[in-house]
Amino acid sequence: MTGRNIFKELLATWPGKLGIGLFAILVILSLYVLIRFPLSWGEETWSDPAQWADNPGAVPPIWSTALTTRADVPHRDYVVSEATEVRPTQSGELRTYTAAVDYDSDRPPTFTNFSVSGVTFYDRPPVLTVSLVRPDDSTVVLFRQPVRGPREDESAPYLRFHEDALRVNLSSQPSAADAVVDFMRDEYGARFRASELAQDLDRALFGVPDAEAPGGFALLKGTYELRLRASFQDPRDSLEEARFVVGGTVFGLMGTDSLGRDLTEGLLFGLPVALFIGLMASVVTTAMGTALGVISGYAGGRTDLCIQRLADLVANVPLLPLLIFFVFVVGSNLYLIIGLLIIFSWPGLTILVRSMVLQLREGQLVESAITMGASRWRIMYRHIFPQIAPFIFAQMIFFAPAAILAEAGLSFLGLGDPSIPTWGQILESGFRTGAAFLGYWWWIIPPGALIIITAVTFMLISLGMEPVVNPRLRRGR
Amino acid sequence: MPEQAPPDTHPSAGRYHGAEIMTVLKPLAVRLLTLVAVLFLVLVALVVTLGATGFSDRLLEAQIGEDLRGLRVTLSQTIRDPEQLEETLDVRRQELVEFYDLDQSWVRRLPATVARVITLDLGEARSLKSFSGSREVSDIVWDRLPNTALLLTTSLVITAVLGLALGVKLATRVGTKLDRAVSYFSAVSFAMPAWWMGILMILIFAFKLDILPSGGMYSTPPPEAGFLRFLDLLKHSILPVITLVLVSVGPYIYSVRTMTMTVAQEDHVTMARAKGMPEGIVNRRHILRVAAPPIVTGLILGLAGSLGGSILVETIFNWQGMGRLYFDAVAGTPDENVIVALTFVFTLLYVAARFILEVLYVILDPRVRYSS
Repeated sequence: MTGRNIFKELLATWPGKLGIGLFAILVILSLYVLIRFPLSWGEETWSDPAQWADNPGAVPPIWSTALTTRADVPHRDYVVSEATEVRPTQSGELRTYTAAVDYDSDRPPTFTNFSVSGVTFYDRPPVLTVSLVRPDDSTVVLFRQPVRGPREDESAPYLRFHEDALRVNLSSQPSAADAVVDFMRDEYGARFRASELAQDLDRALFGVPDAEAPGGFALLKGTYELRLRASFQDPRDSLEEARFVVGGTVFGLMGTDSLGRDLTEGLLFGLPVALFIGLMASVVTTAMGTALGVISGYAGGRTDLCIQRLADLVANVPLLPLLIFFVFVVGSNLYLIIGLLIIFSWPGLTILVRSMVLQLREGQLVESAITMGASRWRIMYRHIFPQIAPFIFAQMIFFAPAAILAEAGLSFLGLGDPSIPTWGQILESGFRTGAAFLGYWWWIIPPGALIIITAVTFMLISLGMEPVVNPRLRRGR
Repeated sequence: MPEQAPPDTHPSAGRYHGAEIMTVLKPLAVRLLTLVAVLFLVLVALVVTLGATGFSDRLLEAQIGEDLRGLRVTLSQTIRDPEQLEETLDVRRQELVEFYDLDQSWVRRLPATVARVITLDLGEARSLKSFSGSREVSDIVWDRLPNTALLLTTSLVITAVLGLALGVKLATRVGTKLDRAVSYFSAVSFAMPAWWMGILMILIFAFKLDILPSGGMYSTPPPEAGFLRFLDLLKHSILPVITLVLVSVGPYIYSVRTMTMTVAQEDHVTMARAKGMPEGIVNRRHILRVAAPPIVTGLILGLAGSLGGSILVETIFNWQGMGRLYFDAVAGTPDENVIVALTFVFTLLYVAARFILEVLYVILDPRVRYSS
């Protein structure tokens, strides 16, 4: 049976159709991921908390708002690279970077962040001032700080925040809390202590004092403005970008984990990894199992005995405890995990293939090949192997979900390769953080569901392969 | 072709005499030998890995370091001169290095290390403790063994009973909606990771509905010994047991169904019916009796999966068994000795459970005896 025929036969059954369809989707998504994400993404982005500091931690996906009666705040992220206003001063110029925030949510934001990157100056260091302009045109200055001045061994131009941005969580700045206390006293005649406001500063920032409202503040809806002013002394001084983040209670397509990592990206990256594990483990396991099975069945004698005894032993070993042990001792490395899975899973196929070969060996085809003087290797490769190939192909597909599940289980115990995020690892971090006990369903259901979908895809294809392997099941032909 | 034993020699447990016992023992001895070989192979693999990666050296060095720390405290009270103290300690270190054969290569130490693993003489754990506070690795592991055995046997028995009852029932209704539904269920349950299922259970029954505890074996504080304590344990075991059963019962029902169905189509069953035997007797003596050995084989094949599943399920439900111990030993400061001990004891447990099932198989399948 040729490859094209197998494919046609596969598409004739509904499990085959569904399986191939799902597989195509998974492959297309994987290709997209491989193009979009660099291979070092796991180490350089996923595992680096600084990359995710501007995201709200452990919040559900945006679409979940529609399913609940909860009041949600959308996540807002403003990147401003052009000054909105430049005003000359006595000693230089004052540049203003602003972001307008239309605030009409029924809850205060979860946090307010500000960051600035790529500051260059030639003479005296600029002073950065961040303030919030409220809908009633009152202004609160939340942060004021000069950029660190030149060191003695440094010469102009002085570069600041080029590699790591200056990131300030405005909601937890003591200076911001003090400023809000003064502001509330001057503007509304309300007296607060800084320590009591610091608990939930965003509620005060985006509200007016109201003793009856929850937290002592009623939300003030309207257009706010977050503003950065930088006083530059030299015309060549520059600032690459200012960024304001108003933290929401929902995020993205899949929500975030407790570090603020975008689960959409983590789950996407896990897809090619899972397919790689499944395909790699199944192809090598099948090759090894088949080769040993054919040799064992055709050669017979002592070779047969040795291979079968070894297969017996390896097949009777409890897999997971040994996987845990070896990965723990040798180190968490994806290739090692795949290698171990292969070492422990070939025997089943070897035993099956051997029994098939034992029958074929007595057949007329092999007999005539022998009379024509074919060598043993040629008989095994050209006359026996093609007869069992479709069966082996179906078996190969069956190994993939087992390998994916095994890797996920291992990752779940905390033994996954730390440089490559997988679905099992996402689940593990969720479990360790207590996501199940806190009800963070978006962190737990999708990775498991993806593991199952991938495993079922392979199983469906294997089911669809049945008529190919077992011709009696073919309908009407 | 399964052969029906002649009625007059129809074997049933407890009726073996003399020569018949020998025919049972021989195949059993062969299986036992294979399983012992498995245990030995695993043991050697463990120890060689430990040696080749330098792990065993580090373990012994840690042991010596611990011994010396204790000695330093006691000696510092009698020897005042710091230089003399260091000298004495150096001499003692040399003695210890020789005592533990650390000056030899790990290959030479292999037999000794094997012996230490077998007797679980693996020193003290770093941060883990047994329930009574002991830090000996063997105490910690032996403490946890009964809990794992309890969870594993309970779920295995429930799986076996459910699988048998439902599988046989389905075999008489092949092709019905129920039959197809169970087929799909068993496919999904094969693809379902046990631990994910467990987390979902917590999310639904412990977090959302708040009707069952999310983990642990007893409430805090645990009830007084007696019936209440048993009830508390029962309540805590519901979710882990259901999880383990759900993920393993699907494939098992399916295999029982297929086995029974195959046997039910055999000629001897038609013959029995033609003779006018009551349906109940046909089912019990002519179908189930013949299908029993392959059904046990199904249990044997599922055992490794259940063992792995129990490790993960214990972890999720904080069930204080050996599986949870793995999780605790990997997290935080890794406890190497505990991991070595656990891997060995798990293999031992697996081999023992396998052997019990093999005995059952030999008792159930007369062909194994008569062919030998």
